[in-house]
Amino acid sequence: MGHTATPPPATGGLTATEHRLANGLRVVLSEDHLTPVAAVCLWYDVGSRHEAEGRTGLAHLFEHLMFQGSAQVQGNGHFELVQGAGGSLNGTTSFERTNYFETMPAHELELALWLEADRMGSLLAALDEESMENQRDVVKNERRQRYDNVPYGTAFERMTAMVYPEGHPYHHTPIGSMADLDAASLEDAREFFRTYYAPNNAVLSVVGDIDPDTTLAWIEKYFGSIPGHDGKRPPRDGALPDPVGEEQREVVEEDVPSRALMNGYRLPHDGTREADAADLALTALGGGESSRLYTRLVRHDRTAVAAGFGLLRLAGAPSLGWLDIKASSGAETADIQVAVDEELRRFAEEGPSEEEMERAQAQLEREWLDRLGTVGGRADELCRYAVLFGDPQLALTAVRRVLDVTREEVRQVAAERLRADNRAVLVYEPLANDDEETGQ
Amino acid sequence: MSETPASTSPAGIAAAAGESMEFHPRPAGGAPKPWAFPTPERGTLSNGLTVLSCHRPGQEVVAVEVDLRAPLDAEPEGLDGVATIMARALSEGTDKHTAEEFAAELERCGATLDANADHAGVRVSLEVPVSRLHKALGLLADALRAPAFPDSEIERLVANRLDEIPHELANPARRAAKELSRELFPAEARMSRPRQGTEETVRRIDAAAVRAFYEAHVRPATATAVVVGDLDGLRDGGVEAALAETLGGWTGAVVDSRAMPPITADDTGRVVIVDRPGAVQTQLLIGRVGADRHDRVWPAQLLGVYCLGGTLTSRLDRVLREEKGYTYGVRAFGHVLRSAEDGSGAALLAISGSVATDVTGPALADLWQVLRTLAAEGLTDEERDVAVQNLVGVAPLRYETAQAVAETLADQVEEHLPDDFQGRLYAQLAETGTVEATAAAVSALPADRLVTVLVGDASQIADPVRELGIGEVKVVTGG
Repeated sequence: MGHTATPPPATGGLTATEHRLANGLRVVLSEDHLTPVAAVCLWYDVGSRHEAEGRTGLAHLFEHLMFQGSAQVQGNGHFELVQGAGGSLNGTTSFERTNYFETMPAHELELALWLEADRMGSLLAALDEESMENQRDVVKNERRQRYDNVPYGTAFERMTAMVYPEGHPYHHTPIGSMADLDAASLEDAREFFRTYYAPNNAVLSVVGDIDPDTTLAWIEKYFGSIPGHDGKRPPRDGALPDPVGEEQREVVEEDVPSRALMNGYRLPHDGTREADAADLALTALGGGESSRLYTRLVRHDRTAVAAGFGLLRLAGAPSLGWLDIKASSGAETADIQVAVDEELRRFAEEGPSEEEMERAQAQLEREWLDRLGTVGGRADELCRYAVLFGDPQLALTAVRRVLDVTREEVRQVAAERLRADNRAVLVYEPLANDDEETGQ
Repeated sequence: MSETPASTSPAGIAAAAGESMEFHPRPAGGAPKPWAFPTPERGTLSNGLTVLSCHRPGQEVVAVEVDLRAPLDAEPEGLDGVATIMARALSEGTDKHTAEEFAAELERCGATLDANADHAGVRVSLEVPVSRLHKALGLLADALRAPAFPDSEIERLVANRLDEIPHELANPARRAAKELSRELFPAEARMSRPRQGTEETVRRIDAAAVRAFYEAHVRPATATAVVVGDLDGLRDGGVEAALAETLGGWTGAVVDSRAMPPITADDTGRVVIVDRPGAVQTQLLIGRVGADRHDRVWPAQLLGVYCLGGTLTSRLDRVLREEKGYTYGVRAFGHVLRSAEDGSGAALLAISGSVATDVTGPALADLWQVLRTLAAEGLTDEERDVAVQNLVGVAPLRYETAQAVAETLADQVEEHLPDDFQGRLYAQLAETGTVEATAAAVSALPADRLVTVLVGDASQIADPVRELGIGEVKVVTGG
């Protein structure tokens, strides 16, 4: 009986139309004339889960190469042209997809479509050894900057490696290993493009201050002649038993500023009602300063400086629930784990109170409103639901489904999933130093 | 809403046979649609609180920013960090709710509330769906009007803050920022020391100190609230009534605003290496202080610094990233520290990024070469044109959300700038020429007057850096 203080604002009157070109490119359009901007978003149904052994990081490295020019675009022209037109742009790579996006002043929309079509259809005309070597170095520096040179930077890698077993397509993360990045060849990149970059393996959404007929005509003009093909190889099977089976555990001794305790859980697949219930459970347990774990660990026990529980939604494998706790000085991770287990057990027995449910739903609702509050955010969500679940319309009703979940469903998913035999435990212990750290 | 059947495209069918795509010339853009930076409505509540409100259709998440004239410079001697603890403690209970109840009530609104202390003052930021704005404003008003500052919560915030310090020191970018402040500003200046205090000063903070700081500096008459979002649907008198019924109940006597000491800095060219044995990258932060937004050079400086390092296609990344692959990205920027009409303010002008350890020397050599080439040859007209088109053209994108508009309006208030500053800035940028932009960038970041902080492995980088001749090199240990 989820309810909030107000009627669901949900879609705010948003609508989307769907189209398909003869080459298989799926198109989603959504009009919104409040601001003179238009977002273009292109999801390719390829991510790190499609990578072969020994080539981790290739999907992401390839994403960088998509910005290095194509038949009619010189060098960095993609960035230069979009920015010169007053637009912003980027691309990202995850386990399950690669996305490319531009937000443009509305009158420059056609340029973004032309650019995306050019690289979808003709990247290999420009791809060369020089850009491959350069972007390999850039990506290795990205890895150093975001993972290797920051405290706890490799926690995510370590966690996924425990939650998803050796050989599983989600066992490694999109950034890949240094050795594999070094091993990737220009021919690997070319082959990756030929295999996965095709109009029938992508969804294009355009959202904002657009004229749908004109936009569709441009899309047909620029993308319509790009040949589709069926060369795509499916990712390795991501099926896994629901529970991990027995607790996985890793203790890392590193130069980190404090002890940390992280727990990773296998949770229901994205797109299911159970995933929404899990999201609410994690929010009630660790989604804010009134959540149970924050209250217990940070306010009452004072054993933690920070405690948060987040959900990484995955469609092709069990989702990942990630509890991240940074310990207060002097606190032991074993004591924190005992307290966490007590709270999880209690939650599994009693479920969220009505008030906790209301708070969790209100928070997730705001997050949805934020995401749908920009044309870029909306374009991305439309692509997500089209690629992963075959129906972009689901993006517009997602918040309603979260508000529809019951307390009992939340309790149930917690009881079934937030258990010791369904988790990986990652513990950080700072290296003993000669200075103040060891005094206690 | 409907699934359109596959359209029949002769080109598509032909292409399916393995032919390549049909190319078209690059399209020219259409006619720009008019857009202007929003003009807020300005008013004053009966308690003296200045209010700016701005209706943004479709923005269901409302952003509220409150500027409190409680600058770091006002912190008592030896109590650095008390403004931060006070800011955080505003949401730890009021005369109506305990700390836990307050957090629960806020989250029940689907709201987030953050508070931050900086050189210009304390900023409190609320975001909440418009349907629950009134209730959340009530909680915000309670926090400002009657914070409880309970002893035990202050003790906890102090302990947490002490625990955070090692995390900040471990982060290369934050460690670099701390060292640059220490180098640039005179030891007696508040700006030379960490915004959120040191272990020594934070340890001294208690509930009495927090309350004293609150009572001395947090008053409605010196505060401004900015409210931005889809405000049309608000019932019962709209946003004005909602504000009057909530923040209007906050009382407090007027206090004289304090005079701010002018900002001075030593930008003698030199290098400090913060030693981090084994680091796989070197964090760079290279900077000095210069003109803020009250200075007439600001538009030209913004433009010139953008051409130097505003984006991936700017001069620095064109070499360091896209040609050499030394970095994931290096940026040049100007960040206002404090600003006032009397010219006492300044901005931090800096270049930051990280480069692989083994190429630290060559990367810095290239970076300095970029600066010298800029000074010798200037920007090109094309660079200037593209930069103006970007900086001006992205405005409607940049200000799509209520949060972005509210933040800029609140920054303007904090910096004593008029509400139409951002709007006029766009017009000024369009009128700024290549020569002016070059001159501004070169005097903002002159190659021989930059303080360089490197957080990295001294045993590997110190010698190559000494050979560059960019100033005396000093090595300090991690902590």
